[in-house]
Formats: sequence, structure tokens, C-alpha cells
Amino acid sequence: MSEIAELELGYRRWLRWYPASFRREYEAEMLGVLLAHARADQRRPQPIECLDLMSAGVRMRLRPTVPRSDRSAFTAVRLMYVGALVELATAIIIVATAGDIKSAILKRNRGYSEAQWHAEVAGSLRPLVVGAGIAIGFWLWMAWANGRGYRWARIVFAIFFGTTTFSMIHGLAGGSAAFARTDLVIGVVLWLVQLTALVLIFHKHMPTVAVSR
Amino acid sequence: MQEATFLILTSLAAGGQHGYGIISDVATISDGRVRLRAGTLYSALDRLRIDGCVEVDREEMVEGRLRRYYRLTPAGAKQLAAEAGRVQANATAAFARLGLTAGVIG
Repeated sequence: MSEIAELELGYRRWLRWYPASFRREYEAEMLGVLLAHARADQRRPQPIECLDLMSAGVRMRLRPTVPRSDRSAFTAVRLMYVGALVELATAIIIVATAGDIKSAILKRNRGYSEAQWHAEVAGSLRPLVVGAGIAIGFWLWMAWANGRGYRWARIVFAIFFGTTTFSMIHGLAGGSAAFARTDLVIGVVLWLVQLTALVLIFHKHMPTVAVSR
Repeated sequence: MQEATFLILTSLAAGGQHGYGIISDVATISDGRVRLRAGTLYSALDRLRIDGCVEVDREEMVEGRLRRYYRLTPAGAKQLAAEAGRVQANATAAFARLGLTAGVIG
């Protein structure tokens, strides 16, 4: 294999970090630029080039493809990232307010042994923290999918909002917010973020493909 | 607006350029301070195309490889002018507070 063919193969490997649609559009052109910039005796991509291709490729996979001029869509995507951040804060607060949960358990069950309240705290905390982790992933997934203008993502987000609304009403009716008032406040904040994002993504239809490729 | 994006738009303000030309031109404009790499350049160009600031001017084959020329759109020119005005206003304010005339440093 010639030096240039070996170098081109190396660049092609690193270009796989980009989404397929981006590669179809730009790969041939980028290879031309990369090879034109290479030293005469270069056989492999330089580490700095690999890092640039990898980081740009990952960014391309994650970033929204809706035009910035579509302000409602762009704001909705940002709000979804805010939702993920609030969920993260929730997980941290849940762990930080473990003492409140312990006090509440001890207050209700004065005869509990240490092993019993340990088990009850763990039983209350684990599902909340795991739930927050899943919710963070879900918010990020929704931000990514809505940012790429997928129509199905709007429907999934609407179902997500409906489920959250139902679970919040159900939780309030069942008195599950009795342990910590903070949980209730965060729940309402998240619900408002969801509501605003939902209104924004349905306010103006996002184009399914932002650039004709 | 990020500096790389500003410099890419500035490079295209004088006329259509291909990827390699933009990289060289940005290095010249920034006096060698900004060295764009292919990954960064094409991510920025893709974003600028989505936003309607840049469009493909023409394509040609050179030694069996695709070479695509990009040009600024009227919307891109407007955005560049607005950003240049903002940067200039900030720089003027900074020079005024330093008691310097614009462009006289050191």
C-alpha cells in the first residue's frame, strides 16, 4: 500500500466519528483538505488531527441541526438540557436530604432498629436516584432527537409530559411529597420546564431535514 | 459568535473559497494566531449552511478529488457586519477606558 493510500485510510477511520449523513456530504472534500495539509512523508494522521476529527465528530452527533432562526425549537432544546440539569440537581438533593428521610422514618416508626431504618432509607433512596438517572438520560435523548427535528420525538415528549403530569397528581394525592418539601418544588419546576418545552416544540413545526443533503 | 466562525465568514466576505483556501486565509487574517483544522472547519461550515449564512458556490474535481467552493449569503454578510460592529464597539470602549487611541497599543 502506498504512503498516500495508507494515510487516506487512516483519515477515513477517524472520519467515522461523524454521522453518516455528514460523511456523505463532506468526506471526499475533507479528505482532499486533510491530504493537502499532510507532510510529504506522513503515513498516519497526526494526534492533533485525530483529536480534532474525533471531537468535531462527537459534537456533530450531539448538536441540534435545526436552524438558529427557528427560535422556538432552539429554546425548546435548551430547556430540555435545563431539564437534564435539574434532574441532576434532584439526584444530588435526594442524596443530600437523606437525613430528612431518616428523621421522617424514625418519627413515624420510633421502635425501628438501626438495620430497619437503614433498609428503609436505602429502599426509599435507591429508586429515586435510579429514577433521576433514567430521567437525565431521557431528557438528553429528547434534546438530541428534537434538536434533529425528528417528528416522533415531539410525540414521545408529549407522552413523557402526560406521564409526568399523571404521576405528579397521583403522588400529591398519595402524599408522597411528605418527606421533603424540596422534592415537591423540584417536581413543579421540572413540570413547568416540560410544559414550556412542549408548547415550544408544538408552537412551530420543526423541519425534519434542516439542510437538503 | 465564536472566533473561528467570525474568521470563516470574514474569509468568505471577499469571495468564494474552498476549504483549503479558507484555512490558509484564516491563518493570514489572524496573523497566524488561529489555525483551523479540517474537523473544526467543516463542522462550522455545516452549521453556517444550516443557518443560511453560507452556501455552495460551485464544485469542481481537482486531481480526482472534490473541491467545493463556498460563498457568503446576504444573511451571512448581515450577520458578519453586525458581529464586526459589536466587536468594534467593544474595542473602542476598551481603548477609550485605557486612554488609548484605537490601534495604538504598547
